[in-house]
Amino acid sequence: MSEQRALLCDTAEAVFAEAVVEGMAPIEAAGFDQLLVPEAEGGFGGDWGDLFAVLRIAGAKVPHLAVGERIVGGEISRPIGAFILVAQAAGAMDAALAMSIDYVNTRQQFGKALGKFQAVQQVLAIFAVEAAAVNVAGAAAAAALDKAGGDAEQALFEIAAAKLRTNKAIGQATSIAHQVHGAIGFTREYDLHKLTGPLLDWRSDHGNDAYWADLLGAMAADLGGVGLWHEVTRRG
Amino acid sequence: MAGNAMTMQQSFTIFPFDPPGDVAKLRAEVRAFLAQHEAKLGVPNCWVVGDPEFSRALGAAGFLGMILPKEVGGHERHPLERYVVIEELLAAGAPVGAHWIADRQTAPLILRYGSEEAKQRYLPGICRGEIYTCIGLSEPGAGSDLAAVRTSARQTAEGWRISGQKIWTSGAHLSHVMLALVRSEEGSERNAGLSQFLIPMDAPGLTIKPIIDMAGEHHFNEVFFDDVLLPEWAMVGTRGQGWVQATAELALERSGPERYLSSHVLMTALIDAAGPNPEPQIKARIGELTAELWTLRQMSLSTAAKLAAGEDPMVEASMVKDLGNSFEQALPQRVQALVDCPSTRDDDLARLMRALLIAAPSFSLRGGTREIIRGIIARGLGLR
Ligand SMILES: Cc1cc2nc3c(=O)[nH]c(=O)nc-3n(C[C@H](O)[C@H](O)[C@H](O)COP(=O)(O)OP(=O)(O)OC[C@H]3O[C@@H](n4cnc5c(N)ncnc54)[C@H](O)[C@@H]3O)c2cc1C
Repeated sequence: MSEQRALLCDTAEAVFAEAVVEGMAPIEAAGFDQLLVPEAEGGFGGDWGDLFAVLRIAGAKVPHLAVGERIVGGEISRPIGAFILVAQAAGAMDAALAMSIDYVNTRQQFGKALGKFQAVQQVLAIFAVEAAAVNVAGAAAAAALDKAGGDAEQALFEIAAAKLRTNKAIGQATSIAHQVHGAIGFTREYDLHKLTGPLLDWRSDHGNDAYWADLLGAMAADLGGVGLWHEVTRRG
Repeated sequence: MAGNAMTMQQSFTIFPFDPPGDVAKLRAEVRAFLAQHEAKLGVPNCWVVGDPEFSRALGAAGFLGMILPKEVGGHERHPLERYVVIEELLAAGAPVGAHWIADRQTAPLILRYGSEEAKQRYLPGICRGEIYTCIGLSEPGAGSDLAAVRTSARQTAEGWRISGQKIWTSGAHLSHVMLALVRSEEGSERNAGLSQFLIPMDAPGLTIKPIIDMAGEHHFNEVFFDDVLLPEWAMVGTRGQGWVQATAELALERSGPERYLSSHVLMTALIDAAGPNPEPQIKARIGELTAELWTLRQMSLSTAAKLAAGEDPMVEASMVKDLGNSFEQALPQRVQALVDCPSTRDDDLARLMRALLIAAPSFSLRGGTREIIRGIIARGLGLR
C-alpha cells in the first residue's frame, strides 16, 4: 500500500469511528468529497484504488450510511453504484468474518471454544474464501476503473464480474455468519445485523444477480469461448 | 460496530501481478506456438495428460525451465513470465502432463536444495522436455496425514538403501525420477527425521504397479522399493530437513493456475455451443461462470505475485485451491444441469462434459484434500 493510501485509511478509520457515535459521517469536513478530484483542481488527487480502500472501511464501520455516493458525488450511474457497493461489501464481509472468528473463539460449549470444533473451522474457512473473493474482485475492479480513467463503461466487464461475484458471496457469507453466532446473532441488541442487513440490501441494489449475469453473459457469449479468454487476459 | 477498536483486517493480501518485459508479446508467442500444435489442444484436465513430443517441442521453444539458470539449460525468466506461459497452455487444454511436475516443482527443488551432481544430471533434460519426474509423498498409511510416512532410507557403506512403498504416484510409469519423502532417521516420529531423495525409476529393486483409475485410465501407480541403492548425491538438501523442504515443494504444487483451470476447455465449449445470442437461462449461467472465472484468476495472479515476491502465500494459495477446485469440479455438473446432453450425444461439449464429470472427484483430493486445505485456511484465521 502506498504511503498516501495508508494515511488515507488511517483518517477513514478515525472519521468513521466517530461517525458511529455521531450517527452521521462528516464526509465534507474530512475532505473525502475531494478524494477523486485531481490535485490540479485543488482536490486530493486520489485514484479508484484509494476510493476502494476508504469504502472498505466505511462498509465495515458505517454500513448503514450512504458514504460512497457522497464521496463520488453527482448522479451515480448503476456501474459506479455497483462498484461502491462491492467496495463496501468487501469491508463489511471482512468485518463480519472478524466478528464471527472473535465470537467462536470466545463462546464455549461442550467445555471448549466453538472455534475448536472442526465443523465450525471448516465453514469459517468457506466464509474467509468468499470474503477474499470479494476483496480481490473489488480491488481488481478499482484497478480497471483507474486504467479507464474512471470511465465506468470501459470498466464494465470488471464491474459486472465483481458485483455478480459479490452478490453470490453475500448469500453464503451472511448465512455462515449467522449460523456460527447462534441465537445471539439474531437479536436486535447484538451488532451482527448491522453488517448482514446492509450486505443483504446491497445484493439487490445497483443490479441483482440476474441483471449482472445477463449483462456479463451477453458479453461473454459475444466474445466466444476463446475470445473470452483473450479478453480476460488482455484486460489484465 | 464490530472491529471499531482494531484496524481493518483483510482476508486476502493483494499483490499486483506485474511481470517484467512485454507480456502481450510473450502471450502472443505462446499462442503462436499453440496454433502450430492445434490438433493436440482442447484436452480436459490437460495437466495430467502426457505427450512427450509436445513437451519436447515446448522445451525447444524455451517454455520449460523458464526460471532456471542458463548454466543448467534454463532461461532465467521471471516466475510471473512463466505464469503467463502456463496459464495460456492450461486455458488451451494443451497436453502438458509429461513434464508438468518436473517443471513446476521438482526442478525448483533440485535447484534450491539438490547436489551439484543432481543438478547436472536432471535439470538440462527437464528444460529440454525430456526428463519427467513424479511425486513420492503418499503411502498406504500416509494420505492426508503425510507425517505418517514409513518408507525408510538407511545409510550403508555403499550408499543409501530405500525400503517401503509409495502410492497414488501420478505418472510414475512415464517418469525418469521420483522426488520422495522418506524416513532417514530410524525411530523418528512424525515430521522429524524425514529426508528427500531423488530415486531413478530404473533403479534395481524398484517396481511400479499400475492402478487403473475410475475412468479406466492408467494414470497413477504403486511404487515399491526393495532395498534400492542410492548414491550420496541422491539426497536432496539437508538430512532430516525433508519436512520443511516438502512444505516448500507443496507451496509450488498448490499455488498455480491449474487449481482452477482443469475444466476450462468445457467452459470454452459451452460458450461456443451457446453461440453469440444464447437463450436467457444459458446466457445468465455463462455470466455467472465468467464472474467466478475472472475472480479466481485475479486471486491466482495475486497469489503468484506474492510467491514471486519471496513471501509465503500458504493461506492465499489454499484459498485459490479450495475455491478453484470447487469451481472446476462443479463446472461439468452445472453444464449437465443446463444443456441437454443425453449420453448418446457425441459432440465436443458432450464429450468434454462426460470426461470431466468422471475426472472431477479427483480435483479436491489431489494436492491435498478440500478438508485439509480448509484446515490450513482455518489455521490462518487463528482458529487452530
Ligand atoms: C488423481 C490423484 C493423483 C494423485 N497423485 C499423487 C502423486 O503423484 N503423488 C502422491 O504422493 N500422492 C498423490 N495423490 C494422493 C493424494 O495426495 C491423496 O489422495 C490425498 O492426500 C488424500 O489422501 P488419501 O487419499 O489417503 O485420503 P485420506 O487421507 O484417507 O482422506 C479421506 C477423506 O477423509 C478426510 N480427512 C482425512 N483426514 C482428515 C482430517 N484430519 N480432518 C477432516 N477430514 C479428514 C479427507 O479430506 C478425505 O475427504 C493423488 C491423488 C489423486 C486422487
